[in-house]
Amino acid sequence: MLEREVIQQRGFRNVHQGGKPAGFQVRFRLPGYRGIWLSMEEGFEVTVDGEKFSRDQVRVTVGGRSYTQDEMTKLGEIHWSTLEPAILTVSKPGGLKLGVHDVEILEYHRVSYIPYPPEGGAAPGSFGGPRIYKRRMVLVR
Amino acid sequence: MTRKNFLQTVAGAAAGAALSGPRQAAAAARRPRRGVSLYCYTDNFGIDTSLEDCFAEIDDLATEGQEMGLEILANGHIEGYPNPSDAWLKQWFDLLKKYRIRPVEYGHWVDSRLYKGSELDTRQSYNMLVRDIRLANRLGFTVGRTKLGVIDRPGTPTYDTLTPVTNWREFIKMALPVAEKHNFRMCPEIHAPTLLKSKMIDDYVTFIEKEKTTPWFGLNIDFGVFQNRPRAQRAGGRGGAQRPLQFSPVSDMVPLLPYVHACHAKFFEMTDDCEDPLIPYKEIVDTLIKHNWDGYLLSEYEGTDRGVGSGSFDAVRKQHVMLKRLLGEA
Repeated sequence: MLEREVIQQRGFRNVHQGGKPAGFQVRFRLPGYRGIWLSMEEGFEVTVDGEKFSRDQVRVTVGGRSYTQDEMTKLGEIHWSTLEPAILTVSKPGGLKLGVHDVEILEYHRVSYIPYPPEGGAAPGSFGGPRIYKRRMVLVR
Repeated sequence: MTRKNFLQTVAGAAAGAALSGPRQAAAAARRPRRGVSLYCYTDNFGIDTSLEDCFAEIDDLATEGQEMGLEILANGHIEGYPNPSDAWLKQWFDLLKKYRIRPVEYGHWVDSRLYKGSELDTRQSYNMLVRDIRLANRLGFTVGRTKLGVIDRPGTPTYDTLTPVTNWREFIKMALPVAEKHNFRMCPEIHAPTLLKSKMIDDYVTFIEKEKTTPWFGLNIDFGVFQNRPRAQRAGGRGGAQRPLQFSPVSDMVPLLPYVHACHAKFFEMTDDCEDPLIPYKEIVDTLIKHNWDGYLLSEYEGTDRGVGSGSFDAVRKQHVMLKRLLGEA
């Protein structure tokens, strides 16, 4: 079963490359009542303890395959289920220190069945607009 | 009377009722039937509630031996959508049988804004639609809540009317033979703030009549269109965005009923007396009975306490007490 919080504690960990910490992973469950096609995703922004990671630093794994966020824009046939959290892999040489971190994730996807957002994009928190999720997390490995 | 005698008497009465004459059976069949959309349990599903838990819950709402109707949201409830595994399919059919659940409505989307900066063309829309029609049919569903993309932009006069994409007629027409072959009734959902007397509904009805689409293309009415009292404001609660209520009289539904293949029994609140304080359910159900409408009423709960304790489960249970009373099942 999933954790109720959108940002999942389970799976929050550093990842290694060549034996050295190269970044970290965090699992994000798609909130709401339906899964989406990956091309509908407008992107994730991850912030940890105030440090913001750019779109290029965040890869997304869905269905066992990892994509850059630019690749996702073309994937209209790959479905991301509400039952399967996406794994966000964030590039950060050295990784995160063990212990407590404040994690913030902004997520936004287009919704076809409500009116278009205003020119320039929907404001965070507005109906159908980007949503920001926060959770205090504990990194153990 | 001993407990055993009492139980035998009750069982005998139930059997007698079940075996009453064909006229009575026919009369009973011409009434709306009850069901539930799994949408109600969105904030529990996969978190503290499994598909089997939902089915067991719905079976609990049935009158003894009755088959309850079910709506799912394809993109939300089918593991591995749009290609569920054989193991999942087996579980699906096992659970339907175990809990006497009848698959009725399959919620699906034609995601017009699938790709940034453009809208799906007619062929792409058709392909998306047909993929769902086939899967719905494999799972036993006969009605679709066919959600179309909308084109309204802020500031345009049509902002609040949820105008469907301009090519809907073309791809629906292309899909009609596929729908017929798969015994599937495509139904856009008529949802507040849309009014039943409006250009959008006129357009749908003109299309239905001109192209003779019945029953393969029709309508799903969401009873939120009849909500005539405002929701209480709740600090920090969900669904707080209040707009002036724009609603239709229940009688406006009557001329549409021949084209309505399922309804969303939308609700936001239930009192402890099991009454809906916002939507005129007695008038709605009486109207459906009077006009011999015998489709499914699928509960759709949008309360502010979804996912808080047993909020959604309690609310749906209360609504079904109300529906049983109104339908003469209690």
